[in-house]
Amino acid sequence: MGLIRKSTMGDKMFDAAVIVLGLFVFLIVAYPLYFVIIASVSDSTLVATGKVTIFPKGFSLFGYNEIMGDSRVWTGYKNTILYTTLGTLVNLVFTLPAAYVLSRKEFRARRVLMLVFVITMFFSGGLIPTYLLMKGLHMTNTMWVFIFPFCVNVYNLIITRTFFESSIPKELYEAAAIDGCSHFGFFMKVALPLSKAVISVIGLYYLVAHWNDFFTALIYVRSNTLQPLQIVLRDILLSNQVFSGGAGAGGAAGGYAQKYADQIKYGVIIVSTLPILFVYPFIQKYFEQGVMIGSVKG
Amino acid sequence: MKKAVAGLLSFCMIATIIAGCSSNNTDKNTGANGGDGGASGSKVKLTALITKHPLTQELSKMTWLQEAEDRAGVDIEWQEVTADWDQKKGALLASGDVPDLIVGPNAITDADFAQFPGLFQDLTELVETNAPNVKTLFSEKPETKVIATQLDGKIYGLPKYQRFWPGTATRQFINQKWLDNLGLQMPTTWDELYNVLVAFKEKDANGNGDPNDEIPMDFAPTGTVAFGFFMPTVLLGSLGITLTDASGFGYFVEDGKVKNFLVDDRYKQLITFLNKLYSADLINKEVFTQDYTKYQSVARGNGETAAVGFTWGWEITDRVGNTLAPQYAFMSPLKATANQSEQVSWSYDFNALNYGTNMVTMSAETKNKEAAMKFINELYDPKVSMQVLFGSLGTNIEDKGDGSYAILPPADAAMDPGTWKWTSSWADNGPMYISDSLNLTLGTDMQSVGKQTEPLQAALDAVDKEKDVLPSMFIKYSTADNSTLGINNTNLMNLALAKWSQWITAGGIDSEWDAYLSNVKKTGLEANLEIMQKYYDEYMSK
Amino acid sequence: MAAQTKVITRKNANHGLGRKPSIAMEFVRDYQLWLMILPAIVVIILFNYIPMYGIQLAFRDYDFTKGLTGGEWRGLFYFKQFIDSYMFADLMKNTIVISLATIVLGFPAPILLALLINQVRWKHAKKTLQTTVYLPHFISIVVMVGLMNVLLSPNSGIIGHLLSSLGMGEVNVLASTNTFVPVYVLSDIWQHCGWNSIIYLAALSTVDPQLYDSSKIDGANRWQTIRHIDLPAILPTIIILLVLSMGSVLGTGFEKVFLMQNSLNLPVSEVIATYVYKIGIISNQISYSSAIGLFNTLINFIFLFAANAISRRVANISLW
Repeated sequence: MGLIRKSTMGDKMFDAAVIVLGLFVFLIVAYPLYFVIIASVSDSTLVATGKVTIFPKGFSLFGYNEIMGDSRVWTGYKNTILYTTLGTLVNLVFTLPAAYVLSRKEFRARRVLMLVFVITMFFSGGLIPTYLLMKGLHMTNTMWVFIFPFCVNVYNLIITRTFFESSIPKELYEAAAIDGCSHFGFFMKVALPLSKAVISVIGLYYLVAHWNDFFTALIYVRSNTLQPLQIVLRDILLSNQVFSGGAGAGGAAGGYAQKYADQIKYGVIIVSTLPILFVYPFIQKYFEQGVMIGSVKG
Repeated sequence: MKKAVAGLLSFCMIATIIAGCSSNNTDKNTGANGGDGGASGSKVKLTALITKHPLTQELSKMTWLQEAEDRAGVDIEWQEVTADWDQKKGALLASGDVPDLIVGPNAITDADFAQFPGLFQDLTELVETNAPNVKTLFSEKPETKVIATQLDGKIYGLPKYQRFWPGTATRQFINQKWLDNLGLQMPTTWDELYNVLVAFKEKDANGNGDPNDEIPMDFAPTGTVAFGFFMPTVLLGSLGITLTDASGFGYFVEDGKVKNFLVDDRYKQLITFLNKLYSADLINKEVFTQDYTKYQSVARGNGETAAVGFTWGWEITDRVGNTLAPQYAFMSPLKATANQSEQVSWSYDFNALNYGTNMVTMSAETKNKEAAMKFINELYDPKVSMQVLFGSLGTNIEDKGDGSYAILPPADAAMDPGTWKWTSSWADNGPMYISDSLNLTLGTDMQSVGKQTEPLQAALDAVDKEKDVLPSMFIKYSTADNSTLGINNTNLMNLALAKWSQWITAGGIDSEWDAYLSNVKKTGLEANLEIMQKYYDEYMSK
Repeated sequence: MAAQTKVITRKNANHGLGRKPSIAMEFVRDYQLWLMILPAIVVIILFNYIPMYGIQLAFRDYDFTKGLTGGEWRGLFYFKQFIDSYMFADLMKNTIVISLATIVLGFPAPILLALLINQVRWKHAKKTLQTTVYLPHFISIVVMVGLMNVLLSPNSGIIGHLLSSLGMGEVNVLASTNTFVPVYVLSDIWQHCGWNSIIYLAALSTVDPQLYDSSKIDGANRWQTIRHIDLPAILPTIIILLVLSMGSVLGTGFEKVFLMQNSLNLPVSEVIATYVYKIGIISNQISYSSAIGLFNTLINFIFLFAANAISRRVANISLW
């Protein structure tokens, strides 16, 4: 971009403002994140009493040892990666074509169908009937309960549809149709390649939702071998909490847990977030300005 | 697609056949090798769920449990739940999908029995025929049978009795070293306490050269649901109110009448006193906003330098850590005024600490109920109960051979005995009967709890257990009454807890008290008191 | 393929005559579209609509022995119980204040952030900023509130110290009824603003670069480029998301409010979700909490409906 660059005074001021603002935002966001990292290797008592600010104090890797030393973590990772990849794939296969259809103005059922979809964002039968349904479908205590139920998220569907509507010019389909291109063909050959940005966004949304989901496992899964990472981490986190229930709930257990409770709390965040961190750059590159249109036209 | 499914199915069938064969083989092998393995082939398979403490190790590592299962001739497949039980339970019960046994402290509540009739087995008959140990519990401790019996006379869940726990959960600590440094006496009245705390505040009590780093007084965060242990509500004892099991919603009994301290003038007196302390900057400023972790962390001070002067807790090393514990002394209940004639009292928590409701339940669908009951019976065996609570014989408990036992110190030196117990066994979360005649030397943690309770003992002994204790553990409310009580209490606490902290921190109780009383009325407190009085009278007349 | 083209051409012809094709003919014409949306419809009906019979619970007593739909019909009893309850007015007020503040302040924030990130010219800085701001989204609520307690503490927290050094005195922002909502909303923005900006960044990436070039040739400054090119590009997304967010006027989450509650801020922090939780843990109130939930849903849906109607009329953008 930028064939002729006429940098005016105003533009320079503007750039300076952008830099200052960007730096400000960066610092505000980065410090607490940095704090999480140093807190995960510092003595928890020092953290809680505000003695840890810039550098870790009372350095110890107890938290990470405790987390990584738990064999369930590795099963958890394996399961979560499986559920996330497969689940996201299924999500996209179900959502993208539907969003395309709903973006077609000539498809007359779209308004009724949209309403049917939107209603489910608000009204639900509640946990009990849903549990009974899963049981009836023999999905409880299987990996499929992570994959198929609710695999169309209406919020994501709407975002994708909006995107299709606004970024794929109507004329494009008309032109393609005259060339003998069907909806199938147009969707696969034109609409999808043009929409890498939105596909990566909702792909990311779905992926993260699967990654963070612990409720499904909590309610529908009993077997230890099927537990995803988040459940395992939640267990580790809880077993190292300081217990406030007093003697009745095990107050005496507090003393031991005290020193490292927060280490584990913060360590858990890092252990569970790190893998996602590696995914992001692959997705980010699809947000590069103008990449899509240019590539199609070229 | 169809092919794939068919293939998968046939694969599964083959797999099960192979698995079946191999498991038969192993059974035979153990039968040939092991001494008592012959029975394993005919073992009754059961499923069970336990809501265990998050610290507790895997059940498969508990030798005592394995032995108990063997003796009962059962082989149990355990599902271990450490968190979010309430959410899991909802789906489990509503779908009728319950395992043969559910173990855990009040894991299934009386309200659940009422709401899900037919789901759980009435154990009355089975206890008669198959559980002599439970029968012993019921006859030696008849009050446990009261705990177990529902309004309709049926028994769905079995209780526990663990005997060794003290009469109160809350102990009172003061930093003796600070008192000595400043040449002060241990306070005995509210006014003396005030003066001591002022001295803690103004002088360099901990002697580190900084007169401003002392926190004279700290207590557990109140939260937003109910009062709990280690909170200044125990000071109501100074005014003659006996809290029972911390009186979370304010209810207590005085001379056979059920009352609520939230509308009592003595509560107003207490808040006025606490407000005086807070205004003089004697109470930790963050006392209402800190979480429990912080509450515990702050008291750990900095190396040898203590941070907190006067506080409450379960046990001193738990409260301030091992390094600082020797600095603290254990205080008797305070009098409100020096010349008061009223007997001082203290929170009486013996029932909550030693009894437990619905520790184990059985599904009505259980195929072999006799076998399941035999296993339950094993848990109530004197020797097994001891191991349920403290861990396996050999590793956790020493058998002295003369019929007496002693708790062993933790194998992991870094661990305290309390944590060791929770790690090794079901501990307080298990069904058990520790009989009053058991000869057992307790671990150091429980011994020091006992010692630290001594200054409170006189007040606890003076409590009239007949007329001044609310026996909430033994009273069963009907479903409708229970739900009225629940909703009204939620409303009541929302109002009361907000006012409690506001009045302590900002004052204003005198001008707002009357308006507050009329608001409390709207929450339905009177209806609750009526209901509770009715049930209390009924219970006492039995 | 050829047949398909014919059908489409005929459709155009029909339009030309101003006559609508019959439903059957349309169905034949659009059979591919129907096939593409069918899986989504099946899944939604199966997992969302079939369990909806459970909504009855709000109007019935829950009777386990008779099944979910067999309990005694109570009509609007549980709704009345809620509306007449001592807490109703406070709960509604607190819930609406918190969620409206979240929408009013939280909605524009990611848009501004996306526009800002889009203006950063140095590629590496842009990527770093983008990656950093989206990370807080992954902090679980428990840890988030724990983090706030540590950092905001007036005695020991770094932000607490910062506030007092700014001359605001030793305010305990965790304790006051005045600061609860700001702290809740600002921390929410801190945590989710970056994540929510992703969708806008994606939308901005579809802008044709030639537009920027030609605007430069026309002598437009950076402000004008933002106003006339960037904003219009993300406007449809903004409107749709705004309409959707109106569907959560009573939609405060449960966990964060609950964890941030303490007895001092309780007068402003008790919301519908936390209240339902509290009555639920004390005694099983399945029907009562279903009724409160349904009440919540209805209000939200009405707001969404209204917002959508406005958007359709004003901007010609509609959810359905």
